[in-house]
Amino acid sequence: MARGPHLPSRMCGMEEGAAYGRSGDYMNKKLAIRNNGMVWIIPAFLFLLIIIYYSIIYTFNLSTMDWDGLSPTMKKVGLDNYSKMFADKVFWKAIKNTVVYFAITFVVQNLLGFVFAAILHSEVKLPTVHKCIIFIPTILAPATMAPVFRLMFSPQGMLQHFMDFAHIPITVDWLSRPQTALYVLMAIVVWEFTGMSFILYYAAMSQIDKEMLEAAQIDGAGNIRTLITMVFPLCKGTTVSLAMLGVIGALKTFDIPYLITTGGPDHATEFLGTYIYRQGIRQSHLGYAAALSVMLLVMAVVGAFLTNKANKEGG
Amino acid sequence: MLRVKSKRNRILLQILLFIMTVPYLLPLLQMFLGSLGGRGLYNYAAVWNTGVVPIYFRNSIIISAGVILIVYVLSMTAGFGFAKLNILGKEVFFWLILVALTLPEVILLTPLFVTFQRMHLFSTFFSVIFPLAALQLPFTILLIRNYDEGIPVELLEAARIDGATTAQAFRHVILPLTKPIGSAVTMLTLINSWNSYLLPLLFLQKPTMQTVTLLPQYFQGEFTNDQTKILAAAVLTAIPEIIAYLCMQKNFERGMSAGALK
Repeated sequence: MARGPHLPSRMCGMEEGAAYGRSGDYMNKKLAIRNNGMVWIIPAFLFLLIIIYYSIIYTFNLSTMDWDGLSPTMKKVGLDNYSKMFADKVFWKAIKNTVVYFAITFVVQNLLGFVFAAILHSEVKLPTVHKCIIFIPTILAPATMAPVFRLMFSPQGMLQHFMDFAHIPITVDWLSRPQTALYVLMAIVVWEFTGMSFILYYAAMSQIDKEMLEAAQIDGAGNIRTLITMVFPLCKGTTVSLAMLGVIGALKTFDIPYLITTGGPDHATEFLGTYIYRQGIRQSHLGYAAALSVMLLVMAVVGAFLTNKANKEGG
Repeated sequence: MLRVKSKRNRILLQILLFIMTVPYLLPLLQMFLGSLGGRGLYNYAAVWNTGVVPIYFRNSIIISAGVILIVYVLSMTAGFGFAKLNILGKEVFFWLILVALTLPEVILLTPLFVTFQRMHLFSTFFSVIFPLAALQLPFTILLIRNYDEGIPVELLEAARIDGATTAQAFRHVILPLTKPIGSAVTMLTLINSWNSYLLPLLFLQKPTMQTVTLLPQYFQGEFTNDQTKILAAAVLTAIPEIIAYLCMQKNFERGMSAGALK
């Protein structure tokens, strides 16, 4: 990299450069470094274009068709799939489930992640062990854990054992009751993703000036008050990032409901992802599934845009 | 962070932490205890003796390695471009990435199913590797961009003054400095490609090409719903992941903190 003395080139103007040994060479390289950015992002964008944007355009087109995936021709139906969607009770049920799911899991998961981060930034024993236990659920595949959860919340599972132990005389198959299935799924999701919230809050908190907090605490502010009035506002950026990932994640939800309840019972755990799969892959209503997909994508983009905007205005 | 002075409060805090952590262990405990039900360790032998476990593992390793390679190269270069170089219409490209970030896997299924079949890519490892990498890229590009923005411009200026081309500056300045975010991205990509379920389920039709996430399903067929063996298979799938995480834990944490903070 270093090729002899270059100190004068720091002040290199045009006329000086002409007198300097390899100035033409140097100027070219300077220009290259300033403007060559496109070359560096094009490979990634070509890749996204071919896979992602191709699929988006394909889906837009397909959403105006009626096609079962087998017949050689698609039938043009205009916006029929969309009007069918707005009249579809299951579609609205999926939207409602997504909203409830997002509201509850977002609050619980981030509250837990925040408290874990605060505690593990204090003087406690075995911090690494706790960190690993909290984060391991995030790395395990929902597909691997699905049979475990189906057992855990069944009458043969651990939850029932605890209830028997506490002499609570009820036997419930929590995942096959429409009233409880969604809440069990939310608990599973919180279990899985607290690690993510934790690690991001933990990182944010390590940037906070400890002396400032100590000063406040010496002035008599209690722990809980310090957390609420000082630490939480200082972690605002993290909360907003988590909100954005949360909105997108809630709309994308597929693996956990599909693998554990397949969207049932009676659409109680239906999400847009599982419904698209049901309509498209299971029942071969590909045009209708495409219209649902377009709707999902629009909502995700709008959601991401709004949280991003809220972040800029508030921050 | 929390100020605990008295010994009593310190113990109380430790107990609170313990109580909060235990629920995160319970599903793992259920998995392990469940796998020992019926005939105990014999369940593991039965699962192993089917001979499919190593094959499914090999396939998952091939797919994850492919995805990590593509994601690492493309997001390192693109992240650098975004953070440190001039790009015409940067905002537009940024929004294109954000839109791609929001894209759910399920939307890709029909378009890619039809297209891969036409291109004779269907039921090859590429049919899973390419979409997984594309789904992963937006997030990793953003993470690396954030990280690279924190690298002082002076370092690049110095390299340039020493006569380095952009590529040389990338190799000798950026790459060594981005190791923490590099391992965070590798870990995240490993988790997501190793855990992917839907794409291998639909796009890998040959039994010899399927991945570890399809093992529970395989054993559901093989052992007609013998839960204990399905759970033994789950334990066998989980262990390598946990070991990989424990090995990379320190680096991962550092990279996540540096890349995720803005």
